[in-house]
Amino acid sequence: MATLHKPLALIAEITHRCPLHCVYCSNPLEMIAAKKELATHDWVRIFQEARQLGVLHLHLTGGEPAARADLKELIQAAHVAGLYTNLITSGIGLNESRLAALVEAGLDHVQLSIQDATEDRANWIAGTKAHAHKIAFAGAVNKLRVAFTVNLVVHRQNLDHLEEMIAFAEQLGPNRLEIAHTQYYGWALKNRAQLMPTREQIEQCMSIVEAAQKRLAGKMRIDCVIPDYYARYPKACMGGWGRRLLLIDPAGQVLPCHAAGVIPDLKFDNVRDRSLEWIWNKSAAFNRFRGEEWMQEPCRSCERRTEDFGGCRCQAFLLTGDMTATDPACSLAPMHHLVTSQQIEKHDLREETTDVSWSYRATVE
Amino acid sequence: MPRPSDSSRPRFAAGCRWGSHGEDRVVLFPEGMIRVEATGLSILELVDGQRDVAHIISTLAERYPKADPTKIREDVLSFLEKLHDKRVVDF
Repeated sequence: MATLHKPLALIAEITHRCPLHCVYCSNPLEMIAAKKELATHDWVRIFQEARQLGVLHLHLTGGEPAARADLKELIQAAHVAGLYTNLITSGIGLNESRLAALVEAGLDHVQLSIQDATEDRANWIAGTKAHAHKIAFAGAVNKLRVAFTVNLVVHRQNLDHLEEMIAFAEQLGPNRLEIAHTQYYGWALKNRAQLMPTREQIEQCMSIVEAAQKRLAGKMRIDCVIPDYYARYPKACMGGWGRRLLLIDPAGQVLPCHAAGVIPDLKFDNVRDRSLEWIWNKSAAFNRFRGEEWMQEPCRSCERRTEDFGGCRCQAFLLTGDMTATDPACSLAPMHHLVTSQQIEKHDLREETTDVSWSYRATVE
Repeated sequence: MPRPSDSSRPRFAAGCRWGSHGEDRVVLFPEGMIRVEATGLSILELVDGQRDVAHIISTLAERYPKADPTKIREDVLSFLEKLHDKRVVDF
């Protein structure tokens, strides 16, 4: 029996409704309609149960969380329950007074994602005219006492102007800058051919980030994780399956990560039927990849198995069709060629392709 | 970054605040937390944006009369510097 850890963070996807159509959205292709969303009182109970389970950080996300009219009540309830609340938003639907009310209710941290440095290019990625609004929103955040992270979502279409993007982000006045490489789930996987960076871009990105970290030391923290397709070993996805984190979707299903829904035959329990404690401790889905029993070689005898836990189960399934396989992102994986051949193919494509045709994230009512 | 001066008034940075994790007191900040123990805890409990560094040092010197005042001063300055680098404390 694997040691049972206490969760530290809860990702609450409170709605899948969103005015943006970002081509790298991590939401599932099948999104949840508004009429199936949990009620305010369900979330209030969840926040209390989560805190009792040990959760410290609550990440309110979506979709666009501001699409919910009860966002202030949710933040207040989370704050009263003792959770540190982080709002991951596009800023759309939040004017100065609504944002001020959220901070008043106990919001600790605002995270704003930026698609690119210039309006046309940013709106092209977002599939919506959102960029100008985001700039105005950053101004509103700066007037309030709340932690502010700007998240630059990077991929092949914008990595060539990363320096310009960092300079733009600085003007928005955050305390922290996160440079997030697109992760290939949901809509991003659909658009992977146009989003996957080249190795040169990754190398250039690392040196640009290092220089910016030095230049901005003490002023702004910069966090950046290299995409796992280019790393030597896979990411310790979610800090290990069912070890640190849980995610609740708009309809109340509890998942070990954003993408777990893609794995067949996993039954996810719902907070409408079970307590969060039961789901964390007892549910089949959370226990499925805890410990090492499920591992194949080379993971099973690998000394890194307690550090990266064989990588990401969802990625292993999506790329190899086997959910217990070693994550192909690992250089030791028998199926590693799946990731390397893609790199080469995409690199060749890059020189030839001028037109990009996106599958924009769909709308959900 | 420079160390705080005697007249600096350290305070928690925006989005950084006290929390608890089991029996431990922790400082929560975006995407993480720090466990604070012993000396660090007694220093950080005096960080409120009102008291200046000289006041914090003298309060601790009164509380721990057997400790070397030079060491207390050094502990306070280096601790605050460290938390400033982590963007947890402003001064």
